[in-house]
Amino acid sequence: MMSFVSYIIFFKKITKKGAKKMTVINKELCNGCKICNKFCTVDAIHYLAEEKKCYIDQDRCTECYVCLRQKVCPRGAIQPVELDSFYKQFQHVISDPVETHGVTGVSGRGTEEVKTNDVSGRVKKGEVGVAIDMGRPGMGVFLRDAEKVAMAIAAVGAELAPQEHTPLAALMTDLKTGKLEDACHGYHLLSVIVEAKCKEGELKQVLEALQKVEKEIDTVFSLGLIIRTDEKGQTKVLDTLDELGIPQPHRGKVNVGLGKPLSLA
Amino acid sequence: MTHSLHRSGPIESQKKDFNWFMYQTKGVNDVNIKPKALEFIAAAEAVGSENWGDVKSGPRTQYKTEEIIDRITDKSRIRGVFTKREQVVEFLKIMKEKDTGLSVVITGVLSEVLPACEEAEVTPHSINYSLGVWGKKDNLPDDTTLSITTMCGHHMIPPKYVEHMMDQVKKGRLTADEAAIKLANFCYCGIYNQVRCSDIISKTVNEAAEKEVASTKE
Repeated sequence: MMSFVSYIIFFKKITKKGAKKMTVINKELCNGCKICNKFCTVDAIHYLAEEKKCYIDQDRCTECYVCLRQKVCPRGAIQPVELDSFYKQFQHVISDPVETHGVTGVSGRGTEEVKTNDVSGRVKKGEVGVAIDMGRPGMGVFLRDAEKVAMAIAAVGAELAPQEHTPLAALMTDLKTGKLEDACHGYHLLSVIVEAKCKEGELKQVLEALQKVEKEIDTVFSLGLIIRTDEKGQTKVLDTLDELGIPQPHRGKVNVGLGKPLSLA
Repeated sequence: MTHSLHRSGPIESQKKDFNWFMYQTKGVNDVNIKPKALEFIAAAEAVGSENWGDVKSGPRTQYKTEEIIDRITDKSRIRGVFTKREQVVEFLKIMKEKDTGLSVVITGVLSEVLPACEEAEVTPHSINYSLGVWGKKDNLPDDTTLSITTMCGHHMIPPKYVEHMMDQVKKGRLTADEAAIKLANFCYCGIYNQVRCSDIISKTVNEAAEKEVASTKE
């Protein structure tokens, strides 16, 4: 768990631009036209027939700011109100790709993972990086489900990435177990990455743990494995997938090794 | 982030969909990146990148090149789209020659990307392999909607808006190209493939129209 001082420092660092705003619909301006309904990425905008107005489900809203940036309401009824807690700010910074995470310095989901691995050497030969993009594609994720997945893979030996590398770690009370602060469980994010690595020989048990925990969560995740390949982009590590009945991948994000200084690790 | 990795849809459609990325590494080569960013942009435009952008400014489908370039800072994230393997090969050849020292990443179908790397004589260092979607998949939108929404990996495109665009095209109020641009403008990064999106919309609307004609005849 972060100390109180670290908590405050992190809170100030989480965004570069000061206080951010929560999205609400001003009922005095709303005329119930429902144009906004089609613009919510997680279906959090609803029409209340009794009032003939629209409203935003604050438990479901991820503060992605699409409805604000796209200026969807012809009457300007969708308005920002200050994000008044650390978790609301975290929710927004991770859900809005325009924001830069204050600790990792990375926009989007806040992590570099494979994209700079030729320089950072974050995942080395003999290791497998595991990037679990929770809530993707487009369902969103409550942090309680991100915790379930993080704890499931940590329990079988996956080493969770620290907060200098990945934002979710800042909410972990124990990086060894993946347990998150209880107070964050009910927050809904557009997506968040559970990032870890394991030895090649441990990959099978990590995948088996994911096959089990995927039945226990109320959302989806998209799974990526980061591997140091041979010069042709091939690897024997993926043979493990056949043993578990997981289809071989046809898509990949290929770091072509032009970064410098080049990591040979 | 893995935001270009997990695109979905028929493989033949995905084979015309590549993303390129410039990446600076925090604490190593992330200072004064603008001159290098300009090299990437010049290379991408030289080979005809169909869309590109900076997440801090927006996509080429919405803003002029000069507007995006003017706003490049060390926090910028420059990336874009190709629709042909030949473009990937030429881009990689240029970037290898330029030797900027920044990381270069290409996302796409591996049976296309890896041969492109070989042809360009660059050596893959690491790959993030997509193992697809796991978990509670029953509540996901239909496959066609997903093939459109997943082209913005940050999920800025609402599924209901995709349905609305399809409907507008079906009713003749928008062309497929116009609808694709409207969708592309939600994706601030500039990695949205509006060419592929237009193809998907056209195909879907045409198939629906043919089914309607067929059922009317019955």
